[in-house]
Amino acid sequence: MTVKWVLHWHPSAGHTVNTQIMNEISQCVESLNGVKDGRWKSVLTFYKPITRDQSMAAEYPRDFLGISIPEQPNKYYFIIRAHRIVLEADLSIQTIMDKLQSYKSRVSLNFEGIQYQLGDFQVRVGKVAPSTSETMRGIVMEVEYLPISSIDKSRQILEDFVDFWKDTLSKRSLPGHFLHNEPNFGEYGLGDQYSAEHTTVQYATVMAQLIATVQTTQVVRN
Amino acid sequence: MECVVQGIIETQHVEALEILLQGLCGVNKERLRIHELCLKSSQNLGFVSSEVRLICDLEQTEPTWIVRHIGGAMRGAGADLISVLVRTMVESKASKNALRLFYALGYKLDHELLRVGFSFHFYRGAQITVTVSSVNKLPKLHAVDEAEPVTPGIQLVEVTAPATSDNYGEVVTAVSSFCEYLAPLLHLSKPGISTGVVPTAAAAAASLMSDGGGTTV
Repeated sequence: MTVKWVLHWHPSAGHTVNTQIMNEISQCVESLNGVKDGRWKSVLTFYKPITRDQSMAAEYPRDFLGISIPEQPNKYYFIIRAHRIVLEADLSIQTIMDKLQSYKSRVSLNFEGIQYQLGDFQVRVGKVAPSTSETMRGIVMEVEYLPISSIDKSRQILEDFVDFWKDTLSKRSLPGHFLHNEPNFGEYGLGDQYSAEHTTVQYATVMAQLIATVQTTQVVRN
Repeated sequence: MECVVQGIIETQHVEALEILLQGLCGVNKERLRIHELCLKSSQNLGFVSSEVRLICDLEQTEPTWIVRHIGGAMRGAGADLISVLVRTMVESKASKNALRLFYALGYKLDHELLRVGFSFHFYRGAQITVTVSSVNKLPKLHAVDEAEPVTPGIQLVEVTAPATSDNYGEVVTAVSSFCEYLAPLLHLSKPGISTGVVPTAAAAAASLMSDGGGTTV
């Protein structure tokens, strides 16, 4: 699997995400001769423990996430960031979790949008919205450099691409910018060869940052 | 879902059983070395306690993991009439972090076993798997190299076949028919219903060993 960076939109203070920003970002990709290559969708589910005594819930992980990603349609991924554990399993692991009746889905978020090809790069722009509503909670962007699987070897070219992309987007004077924070994959036992587990770690990291952004926005508003 | 029957055989007759299975199945046996960890949920997790098994295949160059959930057996008058247990069973392959993940989720190790033996996978009216293994307990945590037999001199034989709610009747018939061929050496029944070793095993084994399993069934 080739290396991908997952970026998220960080709104400027006092601003939120909206469809107009999303449209501007898509237009910007198209202005770079990005060729539309279909739609994509990843689904991230937050699980919460089922406990006999609600006061005991704090004993169990609160950041237990399940993720399905389009590159691996027959796989499902679990991650607990606090424990630095990421697991790859078959789709049937969801049935097992249902049967165990120890954790249940709290909320699912869809990451979905349009996929573009720009030479050796594949770019995905998508909105983050709860599966039960269309309300946009965030914007994400995936940049994949198709020829290379080594994280180290692709770092420079991805940095160059993202810098160029940020420069191009900044000319539109949108209220915010894209951020990329590379997680410490080694903490999860992951190596230099990129895998879907790396994507899972990036999604969980982006999710934590989106939640922090929403909370900050709410504090500012209040 | 799966259909399953179990039986036991004395280790001295396992070679004869292998010859018989080889003749019946027409495929080569596969070596089996499985580390099985049974995990149970912590006291407060879930409204009822739950159990999950992690199966580590140590025969592979790089050990592989499976998460397995065994559900309740089919009940009712119809289920009582058949000699094969039909139960829900769901499996998922998993990466090597499966044990750490379930520990983090609040599951605790209940017991662990090492199964060593062989298996045959073949199609005979259904996709049947026969495993013949000695079941070993581990004196220390995860010490698979120090495993000791739970019942020295006795091996467990298990016949399983995947099924669905639509075809389990046919699968039960296929498993039952196959078990009849093994009857001279061992008796297979629903798990938990022990019928012991069969009195004809020694004679049947001697006969098989003398003609080298050349008899076609």
